[in-house]
Amino acid sequence: MVIMIFIKHHILKALTLLTLIISTSFSSFSQEAKKITPYLTVQYSKDTDNQRVLQTTLTYSMNRMEIPLPGMEVSISVGSQSEKHLAAILTDEKGIARYKLDDNLTLPVNKEGFWDFSTGYSGNDSIESISSELSVKDVDLEMVLSEIDSLKTINLTAFTSENGKKKPVSDETVTIFVPRMFSILPVGDVYLDKNGTANFEFPSDIPGDNEGNLTIIARFDDNPTFGNVEKSTVQKWGLPRDNYTPGSHRALWTKSPPMWMIITLSILLMGVWGHYFFAIISLIRIKIEAKREKQRMNIGYE
Amino acid sequence: MEADKKLLKDLTPELEKTSIKWYLTFFLFFVLFVAGIYGLILQIEKGHIVTGMRDNVVWGFYIVNFIFFMGLSYSGALISGVLHLFHTGWRKPVIRMAELITIISLIIGPFFIFFCIGRLDRLYFLFIHPRIQSPITWDVIAICTDLVGCFIYLYLSFVEDFAILRDYADLNVAPWKKKLYRILSLGYTGTDIQKKLLSRARMIMAAMVIAIAIIVYSVLAWIFGVTLQPGWHSTIFGPYFVIAAVFSGTGLLIILMWIFRKIYHLEEYITKRHFVNVGVLLMIIAAFYGYFTFSDYLTKWYGSIKMDSILIDKLFSDYYSLFIFANYIGILLPCIIIAFPRFRSIRNITIAAIIAILALWVNRYIIVIPTLETPFLPIQDTRPDWIKYTPTWIEWALTVAGVSVFAMLFMLVSKIAPIISISEMQEKDKSEILK
Repeated sequence: MVIMIFIKHHILKALTLLTLIISTSFSSFSQEAKKITPYLTVQYSKDTDNQRVLQTTLTYSMNRMEIPLPGMEVSISVGSQSEKHLAAILTDEKGIARYKLDDNLTLPVNKEGFWDFSTGYSGNDSIESISSELSVKDVDLEMVLSEIDSLKTINLTAFTSENGKKKPVSDETVTIFVPRMFSILPVGDVYLDKNGTANFEFPSDIPGDNEGNLTIIARFDDNPTFGNVEKSTVQKWGLPRDNYTPGSHRALWTKSPPMWMIITLSILLMGVWGHYFFAIISLIRIKIEAKREKQRMNIGYE
Repeated sequence: MEADKKLLKDLTPELEKTSIKWYLTFFLFFVLFVAGIYGLILQIEKGHIVTGMRDNVVWGFYIVNFIFFMGLSYSGALISGVLHLFHTGWRKPVIRMAELITIISLIIGPFFIFFCIGRLDRLYFLFIHPRIQSPITWDVIAICTDLVGCFIYLYLSFVEDFAILRDYADLNVAPWKKKLYRILSLGYTGTDIQKKLLSRARMIMAAMVIAIAIIVYSVLAWIFGVTLQPGWHSTIFGPYFVIAAVFSGTGLLIILMWIFRKIYHLEEYITKRHFVNVGVLLMIIAAFYGYFTFSDYLTKWYGSIKMDSILIDKLFSDYYSLFIFANYIGILLPCIIIAFPRFRSIRNITIAAIIAILALWVNRYIIVIPTLETPFLPIQDTRPDWIKYTPTWIEWALTVAGVSVFAMLFMLVSKIAPIISISEMQEKDKSEILK
């Protein structure tokens, strides 16, 4: 008996010790420090008001997830040798540093007519340094909407400027989008011809707002030469949305459930719980019967 | 009297003394449980990003385990309820195990839902803002109702055994256990009135647990079935889930019979006849389960609805080996092993049961994951590893921890109560042993 108690005691001690060792070794694994290797991406965009923006995103990867690096200083410069420093901007909580290029700012172009942007992060004790480059060419996109005999057409023209002369952009794709609830929906693609023009027949079955208004966006979407350049306008080309929903007091989507559901559930629950109570009452009666039996036996002995 | 004492000693092997083997086994499971807890702490600390679940596949291993354990629970209730209700002659050594499967699985299963919930702090919203229209609310109500019912049913089956243990003078156990038996036996002495009350309550609860098990597991199936998701939107999902549950539960029952027979040398009580009988039950259910599986996939394939076709293509490409294992090998092999009398050895029937259990778990996996990897709306700019689900070590650890807790609870029960019902085994001479 004493030996058994001794063995039990030691097994319990060993169990506790092993648990501690396992948990300590797990936590020491997780505490190993390593310098972070960041990722830096640069995007150029030009909106419908010709506002040009350079957007850099500084992130790193952990557990297959892209984690932003906020509060880091990202430097932005332009020129093939990064000769013109434009700005140094702190990244926001999403790791994004956004720089608006002033309309009056004259940017140096290389031989091919591209702007060479350079962005960089100098690193610190825990994060490695990184740089990234982007070359884009300025493009002007024009969009004209016309409706002839119920045929809705988008006329697009794209051109670049070289030595003060307009040069049409050919063999490039422009995508037409309309904003939806969660994202922008691509409606179709058009190819620019040698004159830098393209026509797109806009579908007539896209729902708009109550009055049929739609925001139509034409965009060079992530184009390797021009970046993201878009033109947008609001036009009454959509189907007016019918916001009327039939009033129903009790339905799957209302606050109150359908009556049949309440009745069915109530009958089921009452039936089941009723039987439970019967079983519990039986157990109570067994206990009462035991007391009576005891009393009967006591009387019998007396 | 000597025979009764032997029976009591044989069926309560861990009640009086605890073997070193018991401690070592328990310790092993405890270590696995601790590893799971460590994973859970990491998950709570860092969020669900440490799991393989992402925007598309929002249900992973945890839901698979939840369905699997709940299935085991309902099948335990169904098997024990049916065996009790129809007074099946060979039920006596296996009925307690089926009852314990019910309760233990029912305790473990819902924990996997807690692991899956992103905002666990809002869990009580389910109770304070329930919507009767929501299948999740049906499930909460159903599981709570089932848990209470199964506890009552299990307790009813234990009352006579507690009375036997209370009255057995030579039982060398701690005083608290004696006190526990005295309280839990409710003063049962086996009078005619008590017998009648207990028997009637057990019969009613046996019928109830069968009905509840069918309803509750159907409710769980409807959580999937009422959605419009490819692979889930099926009218036969309710009965299909119930059959699948009984299939897995029967398999587990065979495995537990083998384990307890081997460890506690219960060859005298759990004989080949029991294995063959439960094995034949497994074979019949496997045939039904195979029929439902074929019917479900045939209608989806023939219907050629775009998303169903994409899903079936995925099952026969990315999930080919899992699909074949779950729906061909896992059904046909147990049937073949049990159908031919020459293969019907205890070992072979146990192997068939292990295959059935593993196949059923994989079946749950290929019901949940590929559907979520096949969304109706393509999500733009989604990284491939967000679409494709891969479980992380934390999910594996918590899965193993769930199985470990199942084993530990079974072991703990064996320390307090008989693993085979003494009262059932000794129905003839109960008055003697109660002296």
